[in-house]
Amino acid sequence: MTPDFVRSMRVPVLVCAALLGLLGGNLLLGQFAFPGAGYFEAALSGVMVLLLLFFSMELIREPPVIRFFGVAGFLWVAIMFVMTLTDYLTR
Amino acid sequence: MRPVLSYVAAALPVDIALEEQFTTKAQQRHAAKFGMWCWLITELLLFGGLLLVATVLRVLHPASVSAAATHLKFWIGASNTVVLICSSLTMSGAINASRLGLQTLMVRCMLATGGLGSVFLLLKAYEYYRDYQEHMVPFLDWRPYALPHDHASRLFINDYFAATGLHGVHLITGIAILLVLTRQASRAGYLSLHQNRIEIFGLYWHFIDLVWIIVFPTLYLVNRG
Amino acid sequence: MSLSESLLHRDPAPGRGTIGRPPDYLHDEHTLRSWFFSIDHKRIGILYLLSITFFFVLGSIAAGLIRLSLVVPNGAIFSNDTYNKLFTIHGVVMVWFFLIPSIPTTFGNFLLPIMIGARDVAFPRLNRLSWYIFVCGALFTLFTIVVGGVDTGWTFYAPFSTTFSNTWVIPALLGVIVVGFSSILTGLNFVVTLHTMRAPGMTWFRLPIFCWTMYATSLIFLLATPVITIALLLLVLERAFGIGIFDPALGGDPVLFEHLFWFYSHPAVYIMVLPGMGVISEIVPAFAQKKLFGYRFVAYASLGLASLTFFVWGHHMFVNGQSEVASLSFSLLSFAVAVPSAVKVYNWTATIYKGSIKLDTPMLYAMGYIGLFVLGGLTGLFLATLAIDEHVHDTYFVVAHFHYIMVGGTALAFLGGLHYWWPKFTGRMYPEGWGRVSAFFIFIGFNTTFFPQFLLGYLGMPRRYHTYPPEFQLLNILSSAGSLILALGYIFPMIYLVWSLRYGKRAPANPWHARGLEWMTTSPPPKHNFETPPTVDFEPYDYRDRESRV
Repeated sequence: MTPDFVRSMRVPVLVCAALLGLLGGNLLLGQFAFPGAGYFEAALSGVMVLLLLFFSMELIREPPVIRFFGVAGFLWVAIMFVMTLTDYLTR
Repeated sequence: MRPVLSYVAAALPVDIALEEQFTTKAQQRHAAKFGMWCWLITELLLFGGLLLVATVLRVLHPASVSAAATHLKFWIGASNTVVLICSSLTMSGAINASRLGLQTLMVRCMLATGGLGSVFLLLKAYEYYRDYQEHMVPFLDWRPYALPHDHASRLFINDYFAATGLHGVHLITGIAILLVLTRQASRAGYLSLHQNRIEIFGLYWHFIDLVWIIVFPTLYLVNRG
Repeated sequence: MSLSESLLHRDPAPGRGTIGRPPDYLHDEHTLRSWFFSIDHKRIGILYLLSITFFFVLGSIAAGLIRLSLVVPNGAIFSNDTYNKLFTIHGVVMVWFFLIPSIPTTFGNFLLPIMIGARDVAFPRLNRLSWYIFVCGALFTLFTIVVGGVDTGWTFYAPFSTTFSNTWVIPALLGVIVVGFSSILTGLNFVVTLHTMRAPGMTWFRLPIFCWTMYATSLIFLLATPVITIALLLLVLERAFGIGIFDPALGGDPVLFEHLFWFYSHPAVYIMVLPGMGVISEIVPAFAQKKLFGYRFVAYASLGLASLTFFVWGHHMFVNGQSEVASLSFSLLSFAVAVPSAVKVYNWTATIYKGSIKLDTPMLYAMGYIGLFVLGGLTGLFLATLAIDEHVHDTYFVVAHFHYIMVGGTALAFLGGLHYWWPKFTGRMYPEGWGRVSAFFIFIGFNTTFFPQFLLGYLGMPRRYHTYPPEFQLLNILSSAGSLILALGYIFPMIYLVWSLRYGKRAPANPWHARGLEWMTTSPPPKHNFETPPTVDFEPYDYRDRESRV
């Protein structure tokens, strides 16, 4: 392990700690299943996904076009959900 | 597997070999990374379909889905999330080591990643075994189902098996590729020829983690309430 | 003298065998191995061309038998089961093994790298793999046909496909799932190639429109195909294990399958149509010798279609139990698709206006395409209207509508492009007279086959039925007679194109005096496409000096 390597691992270690912390938050919420807990759980999971995307997968260091593609997949999943649920929520 | 290392290799610069169809190495690196991101988009939409099924089932049959979700092994799922988050850390370690030309460290990080992936699979197998024991395998004709009168709960459990099964297949594929890659990457001079392959594979591995981070709350967590 | 000027004076090209010229891609190596294991995008394009032609013939034979059966109203020629299997095979083969791969995997593979001045696609080995995956999926489908066929229709709707059908559904599903991965890999390759492999000077707005449509198509490949993979995988699981997700008896919802299915299959319509639009956008300026009107609008319209198409799938489900709110929103959004489609049609028309038009075979196909596409597109608006769709849903009106788009559109564009680039692919000219005759046969035959179906549908003849009331017989006979003319129009090119491989006139580098990098290299191109890597210093469709000369 060289000093260079240790320095390079600062962000991944922080991300890992943050992910574990957020997971802890989610598990805690899971114990108190109050109405509306799902929204908080979804929000925490969303932050976890963003951390992974932008720091673990280094989207933040990529040129804009790759960043766009990285996000586009989620956008299209959202289209699928919204348009399908338009049907199910209004039946 | 004992990595074969050569000290000469460390002296070679970290680089990639230019393939015939490209003009520059920067172009080649960019294209390879771009290609993997495109592939990951397709993977995301693949899982998106199964998550949509789970969501629609929840809209159609909220009570049955909640009843079924409490039968999932919440703590095994949670432990597995921890395992995958740690494997992402070791994968990042492998990538950073590869960039610095630290081949031994990189190989160790890759083996650790594969090890954590295997731990995930073992826990998952144990979880499936418990499901089987508790009669929570509605898709098997010969096995009586634990909630025989709640038909809609079967659908959710079956979707759970489809989603976690598909994720498991991805993890098995990931571990298989990782082992082959580790073997290749432990050869002398690898990092001066194909360094970017570690990064490309790393994207795939992080993505397996990412999918689990979405699957876990969608199936185990938000349906408990 | 700039590159573009020097190239203007290059045709006719020096004959083959010039000393020092590298052998072209056809003559580089001769073994079978050098074809089946080639990573050259041009050879892979030819492999695909042969494969999809095989499936086109197969699908056409099924279509011919359907038309034969419908000559009599009482269904005496085939049994009901056989008829169901015939239209399913026709649909599955034509959609997944001809229309979807047709233009991208053949012209796209062959031309895209040349048009952007690259030596190959970004991932040549992946490209070869995609063909092998295609073959693998094809084997599943052929297996299905040989052992007894499948009767679900190409849409595989649950619960018929999961619970009631007693045919070979699982192998048919696996064939479609597998061939989807070949599409994904082709799309991935094209997206990355267009982003990273363009020659110096080849900016996005210097790309030929064909490249823009390939880009839009590839995005749909990436974003839509995985969803049908998972939908069909769930059908396989449903059939094998009875997982119940689409089974109403257990509380599942068959409409959910339709949502997932059409999330792919409506955009798939644009996988079939957009490449055709790209081909037409190349042919029309070349044969009007005029700059494409409104280049940027046509380019943006391609991307517009590729995104809008993801918001309209529910118009296939107006009578299937979808909520009214959903139906209304899908209907409204469907109308929006007409805008970019019309932009394209107006731009082609404006390009032709005051051009110096040459009515060679490719242009005949292009003119046919524009007319038929307009008819198909406008009837699409009828179908997007809720009230009219209630009346004509699942009738021959729908069948006629989408055949005007798929056959009148895609198949005509495919044939037009095949003639247009045939000299580039093979180094030989096709016989022009025969080309025009067969284009004429196809146009007449097509309209005779499918126009009566609009009338039949409006009068209430449902699709997929084997028998019909005797008063519909005249129109049905007319339609079947038209399919004979259409068949002749398909058979002619298959004969004279093969004939031309040996006896055709040798083609110059640029027989049409067209613009674009593919016409600046030899016919056929050398293995690495260009003798020297090109630098682009000209705008697309730059026909100005031609115009001043005319």
